[in-house]
Amino acid sequence: MIRLLEIEWLKLKNYKIFWILIGMYFLGLILVLSSGMFLMQFLKYKGADFNGIDPTILPLYDFPDVWQNMTYIATFFKIIIAFIVAISVTNEISYRTMRQNVIDGLSKWEFLKSKIYLILVLSGAATLFIFLEGLITGLIYSHVINLSYIFSELDFLAAYFLEVFTFLSFTLLLSILLKKAGFVIVLVFMYTLIFEPFLTINMLHNPWIKDYVSWLAPYLPIRALNNLIHVPFQRYVFMEIQDFIAWKDILIVIVWLGIYHLSIYKLLDKRDI
Amino acid sequence: MPEILSINNLVKNYGKIQAVNKLSLVINQGSVFGLLGPNGSGKTTTLGIVLDVLKKTSGDYLWFGKHSSKDSRKKIGAILEVPAFYPYLSAQQNLHIIAKIKRKGIDRIEDVLHQVNLFDRKDDPYRTFSLGMKQRLAIAASLLSDPPVLILDEPTNGLDPQGIAEIRKVILQVAKEGKTILLASHILDEVQKVCTDFAVLKKGTKIYSGSVEEALNGARTIEIASKSMNQLVNTVKEFRPLKSLDEEKDLLSLQLEDAADAHDLNTFLIEKGIVLTHLAIRKSSLEQKFLNILKESDDQTT
Repeated sequence: MIRLLEIEWLKLKNYKIFWILIGMYFLGLILVLSSGMFLMQFLKYKGADFNGIDPTILPLYDFPDVWQNMTYIATFFKIIIAFIVAISVTNEISYRTMRQNVIDGLSKWEFLKSKIYLILVLSGAATLFIFLEGLITGLIYSHVINLSYIFSELDFLAAYFLEVFTFLSFTLLLSILLKKAGFVIVLVFMYTLIFEPFLTINMLHNPWIKDYVSWLAPYLPIRALNNLIHVPFQRYVFMEIQDFIAWKDILIVIVWLGIYHLSIYKLLDKRDI
Repeated sequence: MPEILSINNLVKNYGKIQAVNKLSLVINQGSVFGLLGPNGSGKTTTLGIVLDVLKKTSGDYLWFGKHSSKDSRKKIGAILEVPAFYPYLSAQQNLHIIAKIKRKGIDRIEDVLHQVNLFDRKDDPYRTFSLGMKQRLAIAASLLSDPPVLILDEPTNGLDPQGIAEIRKVILQVAKEGKTILLASHILDEVQKVCTDFAVLKKGTKIYSGSVEEALNGARTIEIASKSMNQLVNTVKEFRPLKSLDEEKDLLSLQLEDAADAHDLNTFLIEKGIVLTHLAIRKSSLEQKFLNILKESDDQTT
């Protein structure tokens, strides 16, 4: 495993686009995740009020709520890491280096493993980063600082890891299937942000079809990922939210994860490279 | 001689097209084996299969007497079709990755770069290289782990005459070290100058295989010229042991039956009152042999 990661590191460490995307991901997250209180002050200044509540007193960063708030926001950024995966994998195909790696003495499966290790490390790094960011902003803003609160509800971080890893596996599959970076990126982007969300809206609310297909919506690949960590913010206007990770949602995601990896295996197994 | 590679009844179909058709070949240790054939004859497909990047349809191949594996590939230095490197990495960084994959050769990176004359450019990104430099880096990569076997697919593609001569020198030097080399090329001159054995493929089928020496023995070409070429052509056509005749510019090149030689021809011409201005005996080139082989196979099929 170490050797395959070393090889991957040699490929990426001098690749500018990799560092630009990594930088965008982390800087973007720092900017957004650290600005919660300033955003609330901005909203207050603009005259917003949430059922008569002053926005600046909302405990966005209180332990343990901070974990769900942070991981929920961070899921929007996973698409940037997906671009890294798409570029890294499709490059190997268009440069013919995947073929040359195999000729030089990697097995096809070692090559695949090196990419799976890469997405494991990226998912792990992203999760660790959210943990640190949550810890720091929490220590700054949280009204109660107490070890048992800080370390409760960390399952949101585990769910975040699963979500990112599954999403990157989805991208890995598309990259191996479609081979062209631009195509993969546009498809991932459009499908994740437009096609499936609107398909879901139709399945749930279109009066002509909703009675027949609404049950299917939670099983769609992106919807299943989004269901892992529910939107937390309505709790600040005293609405009921799902503030836990449901086993059923985890199961659906794990089934998708299995489907992605099995398809990748099948695809590579029968293909000339 | 131990067998390095043996290919047995190998078949590869792309849909209805047969790219490789029941191909059998044996490559012995220490030989420099040329795989010849026109474009699209299945050379690269065959090499792709034995290097495990293309899936065979049927048949079998053994490396070092065993079924191929990632470990057998580590003992082979190979380039297939075009050089494949990471364009944003330098020559040295690219070779570093290969050494990691092969688990061998990190200490030889500078040596092989010297060997192909790229040491001065070792820190420049691959994408800034000319085609010839890319080819040379590919050769360097194949030599990196000091492997006992080299597979070079069109290694002189895109090189200028000087570059071709340099690559030839490297190949001969490596062959002298006792390494086994499998060289696919359509530049026959190359193969003739470096190979010990060769096989000819056509539409995926092997139509000839043997040693270069045997193939070139016997068949000799005689070149003649005289002041009046018209008269010479007409007279030579009367010479009975004449097998074939090619008119070139200011020159006739002809082949005779085995029983006759240049002496007989010259005697005949003197008797007819023709004085030659040029008479030379040439060993046939592989090119002629190759074209003959292809032509014979055409005749057989039509």
